[in-house]
Amino acid sequence: MGKIPPSLRSSVSTSIIKKPQSLIPNESPSHKPHHFPKKPARKIPPQLSEKTQEPTAFRNPFSSPNISDAKKVFTSIVAATKSPLDLRVHNALLQSYAAISTVNDSISLFNHMIKTHPAFSPDRSTYHVLLSQSCKAGDETLGSVHQVLNFMLTNGFSPDKVTTDIAVRSLCSAGNVDLAVELVKQMAMKNAAPDSYTYNFLVKCLCKSRSVSSVYEFIESMKSSLNLKPDLVTYTILIDNVTNRENLREATKLVEMLAEEGFKPDCYIYNTIMKGFCKLNLGKEAVDVFKKMKEEGVEPDLVTYNTLIFGLSKCGRIMEAKKYLGVMVEMGHFPDAVTYTSLMNGMCRKGDVLGAMELLEEMQAQGCQPNVCTYNTLLHGLCKSKLLEKGLELYGLMKECTMKLDTASYATLVRALCREGRVADAYEVFDYAVESKSVTDVAAYTTLEGTLKWLKKAREQVVPGEATRLHVGR
Amino acid sequence: MLPPVMKKTITDNPKKLANLIDLVNLPSTLREFTGQSQISRLGCFMRVWSYIKDNNLQDPNNKNVVNCDEKLRSVLLGKPQVELSELPTLIKLHFPKEPK
Repeated sequence: MGKIPPSLRSSVSTSIIKKPQSLIPNESPSHKPHHFPKKPARKIPPQLSEKTQEPTAFRNPFSSPNISDAKKVFTSIVAATKSPLDLRVHNALLQSYAAISTVNDSISLFNHMIKTHPAFSPDRSTYHVLLSQSCKAGDETLGSVHQVLNFMLTNGFSPDKVTTDIAVRSLCSAGNVDLAVELVKQMAMKNAAPDSYTYNFLVKCLCKSRSVSSVYEFIESMKSSLNLKPDLVTYTILIDNVTNRENLREATKLVEMLAEEGFKPDCYIYNTIMKGFCKLNLGKEAVDVFKKMKEEGVEPDLVTYNTLIFGLSKCGRIMEAKKYLGVMVEMGHFPDAVTYTSLMNGMCRKGDVLGAMELLEEMQAQGCQPNVCTYNTLLHGLCKSKLLEKGLELYGLMKECTMKLDTASYATLVRALCREGRVADAYEVFDYAVESKSVTDVAAYTTLEGTLKWLKKAREQVVPGEATRLHVGR
Repeated sequence: MLPPVMKKTITDNPKKLANLIDLVNLPSTLREFTGQSQISRLGCFMRVWSYIKDNNLQDPNNKNVVNCDEKLRSVLLGKPQVELSELPTLIKLHFPKEPK
């Protein structure tokens, strides 16, 4: 990503006395930027690695769903390869064919593979390929899922928790959360009860599409029938869910429940709660969470600091946000693009876009590269503060790197250009927004049309002297 | 997934969006210009604007003004010169509101 050219930097910050930059150690952070705690990494289950990966990088060797064609393709592949095919190749071939065919045809190919190629000894993962396909078939009765499960059983593989996990994930990704719940109950009776990863995944899916009370219902039924109790991850998911719905009372209740169940909140829980407060512009409460963490001896991580700085910037408490930037560095965390962009956003909201540009300089001096969000934030800020020339310079830079504009910065830029009577330039920005697919055609056009309408009104209302400025243009 | 802003526009005002993207049977003048019998208002705007760009019809001294050639004049009320800022309004004239 391009650096801000020196001309843009220096001319903006000339009038401002440079602050000492000793705040941050002069090492370039080598870690990847973290984002807000939407997906704590620990929720990724180890089972996933057992799934055969989709061969996206290769062309699908099977071009037709017809089974006899597929058998020919398989035979020719076997004939063409000199070294013996191993299990992974077989699985990959089966998966490629499964992607375009029906469950029955896949099973036929599977049988054909065993018959013509005795070296091929399918294991559990091979059956899971078929299972995953049958889950995506989308029939209402789980018929083909049971067909595959029975097929597995007759060949000597009884389903286990990995089987359940794969089935649940496939069903949920095909949008059949109800069927997944149904299947979990059935599988539990077949000695393949879900583990906590599957359980939490399902809770998360339910949270996305169901009401809070129906999620609780599911948790209750799991508790009573399978003795599966919610763990810390489950609570994190639930708290995240209710805070996203801006239901803080329920969140507080959940935190109390958590304590009653004997869990000690960890960093993820605190981050989630803090995010909830930040979302509602409750800066003081966010700081309270931070203090509570310190009291309880939970070490805040990068996400905690980013969330806190984001929240404080969002509700206009820039000085405090800057203070925590200092604290963060002291504690040995490296502020990343998210940290800096949050701060810049707050400064731009306060109208201090020059300060934000200065921060950009500091950020780059620390070796932290600005991202698309950073540029959009600054562009928005510059246009709002009537520093159109600087904004255009930044826009030119973004265009060079084919960065996308976001809705807000696109709209402010178009408006700022029209205000100066530079309608043709506004059309050019419109073209870029459409071409780079920054916003949809409709949104881009609606903004342009609305702005031009506003311009017409403004021209009719202003005093004659002012009118010339709007009319003359370039 | 639509961005939230768009989603809001649609839920707030489905009609407004509809009259922007619905295909409309065109009058003969527009039919000649576009070479199609149906087009949406958005599509028509895009067509006219790219026609202006492709034929370099923007005034070299003032890019905000378009010097219409004969073909363009036929769709823009016969005006010899139009301002870019009036373009959406002029095109909207061809897309009258549906009688209720």
